[in-house]
Amino acid sequence: MTRQTPEQLANFVRQLYGKLDQLSYYELLGVSSATPLTDVRNAFYRMSGDLHPDRYHTLADRELKERLETIYARICEGYRVLTTPEKRTAYARALQEGKKRLTSTDRESRAPQSPEDTIGHEEAKKFFRLGILSLGRKDFKGAVMNFNFARSFEPQSAVINQKLGEAQAALGKPGGPGVK
Amino acid sequence: MSVVGIDLGTTNSVIATVRDGQVVVVPAAHGGYLHPSVVSFSADGLKYFSREGVARRIVDPKYTVYSGKRLIGLSFQSKEVQKAVSRLPYELREGNNEQAVFVGPDRTYTIPEVSGLLLGYLRQCCELFLGDTVTGAVITVPANFNDAQRRATIDAGRIAGLDVLRVLNEPTAAALAYGLGQNMSQRIAVFDFGGGTFDITILQVEGDVFEVLATGGDTFLGGDDMDTALLNILAELFRAEHGIDPRTDQAAHARLLIAAEQVKCHLSEFPEARGELKNIAIGDRGEQLALRFHIARNVFETSFRGLVSRTIQTTQEVLTSVGLAASQIDEVIMVGGTTRVPLVRAEVERYFGRPPRTDLNPDEVVAWGAAIQAENLAHAGENLANQAVLLDVTPRALGIAVAGGFSERILDRNVPVPVEQTRIFTTSADNQSTVRIQVCQGESRRFDENVPLGELELSGIPPARRGEISIEVTFRVDTNGILRVRARDAATGAVREAAVNVRGGMSDLEVAEAVERQKSREGPVDDTLLPDIEKLEEEINELGDLGDIEELKD
Repeated sequence: MTRQTPEQLANFVRQLYGKLDQLSYYELLGVSSATPLTDVRNAFYRMSGDLHPDRYHTLADRELKERLETIYARICEGYRVLTTPEKRTAYARALQEGKKRLTSTDRESRAPQSPEDTIGHEEAKKFFRLGILSLGRKDFKGAVMNFNFARSFEPQSAVINQKLGEAQAALGKPGGPGVK
Repeated sequence: MSVVGIDLGTTNSVIATVRDGQVVVVPAAHGGYLHPSVVSFSADGLKYFSREGVARRIVDPKYTVYSGKRLIGLSFQSKEVQKAVSRLPYELREGNNEQAVFVGPDRTYTIPEVSGLLLGYLRQCCELFLGDTVTGAVITVPANFNDAQRRATIDAGRIAGLDVLRVLNEPTAAALAYGLGQNMSQRIAVFDFGGGTFDITILQVEGDVFEVLATGGDTFLGGDDMDTALLNILAELFRAEHGIDPRTDQAAHARLLIAAEQVKCHLSEFPEARGELKNIAIGDRGEQLALRFHIARNVFETSFRGLVSRTIQTTQEVLTSVGLAASQIDEVIMVGGTTRVPLVRAEVERYFGRPPRTDLNPDEVVAWGAAIQAENLAHAGENLANQAVLLDVTPRALGIAVAGGFSERILDRNVPVPVEQTRIFTTSADNQSTVRIQVCQGESRRFDENVPLGELELSGIPPARRGEISIEVTFRVDTNGILRVRARDAATGAVREAAVNVRGGMSDLEVAEAVERQKSREGPVDDTLLPDIEKLEEEINELGDLGDIEELKD
């Protein structure tokens, strides 16, 4: 698979990148479900010799480099799944369900933090939320007022003070709505 | 134009390069190949490095920075920095973005700036030696350095005017130095016990492929702790004789620490050490007080047996994590000066049931590997013989904070890099317009039991009931071990992609300013670089003769 010219490399990447999500780990690594672990490893080592990002350190085309890294990251992922017995079993099931990757695509029931999660006082929380809405409407004056209310209930809150600062800065901007 | 490998160590640094296919280690200004990782600042704006810097630890401890690697990339409030603050004679304070900054005689310096000055010095040493400019470098870091510590190390390199080709894990570099071109097919353990850190790494080596199977360690455990243990022994001896605790006096403390390091090296070769340190402190009547000491190796060993046990425990943990027994390791490589301590070697041999390999200099082997990799990267694309492939892993699990104070893991530890994973999250409140992606490292389910790395905010989410919004969070770790986070609102396609705003890190602007400052200082290389060590040592001799300690007897 050693590629000589930059054009060949670019072609190779374009083709593979486009269909990356349609390839199973087996297809990607060029092995089958019956391939023993050590042979999967050897296949991965061989591919690494050609595709490891270190091989393209001097490549000037950043997008091409980025895509190569994405492709290689997927190969690494496949290698890890196919050489870990429990994961390989789980992957066999996933493949039957038509999934090409062993990774959760379900939406988590949990959510990342919202800034207001760090606020304890209910009233502070309410005004903080109102302040955020004002910010969204670009009503900076209203935002400053709401954040100030929020702060009166919880003066120490870092997120309230931060947002208040942002709102004040937006309000004070030259060409902005102006103070008072 | 040359590229180099730099082992930026806690105690000493080593710089090496490849010339005509051979690794060459750049000699230090005062002999040997170890450049002490010390930067000393004077009020007139001069900086002193290496052994000169070490000498100034005695005359000017307040403005002499050592062990900077223990601080780099950590926030001021972290327990590691707080522990260091209580022990270091120089002053640290909290700067922008929770950074720890050193309070110099003229201004404050961020830790990457201090390390950048040191790297700049090393670079100049190398340029003088080679008669050639140095443009790029591979800088090594402990395998368990996190994202923030790696970024800070890259910043330091940039400040020194270096193109940082790669931050490379020290054990991987060591394995490369041992294994490249040997056509090995072995499973090896790299036991890396340096001045300030301990790492254990298990690799599979197949020809030119070096695959890290697992790595683990303790960033806050190293030979410096042995020096401290020995310093305490010396201080107690002094107190027993004179009734004064020399640790309370900065100059005496610095002198004892330097002595402790020498006594440690002596005790690594001989079963006991005796000697005399003159002028440790001044007595009540203005007389100079000396310390006569006689320490047996086993007394010293008792003082740090606990440290060595911790390294073996960590080793056991890491092996267990990949389902291996100590007997399944074909070769054990020793890295770092602390592995010269006989007790360490004995315990490693006992644990693995085989004598460890020590044929390459444990102080230099990491820089060797880094030089080889620098050459590799600079000539990527040209078909070199023996071009190694280094397959590294993530040192820590990475996750984000989710509602309820929990942490949701996105990447496991010991996963091959580069790696990219996406998870889909939702909102926790009705009409939530902003989500805050707080990134942490660590295995705990509770967010606050992990180490916070930084955060990213995705705003402008359209109004919707809670749970209806899909937010894709993608983590990508590259071959440098650097994390990028992308948050995407699946409905609007709005994307926030950023290196996390790392706590305790320098901003891009700060780095750019530091780069400029450093550049403006740079003139043609001249002899003023070669330090006037005689003058300094004279100065120190006036304060007290260091000579006796060199006549250690066993």
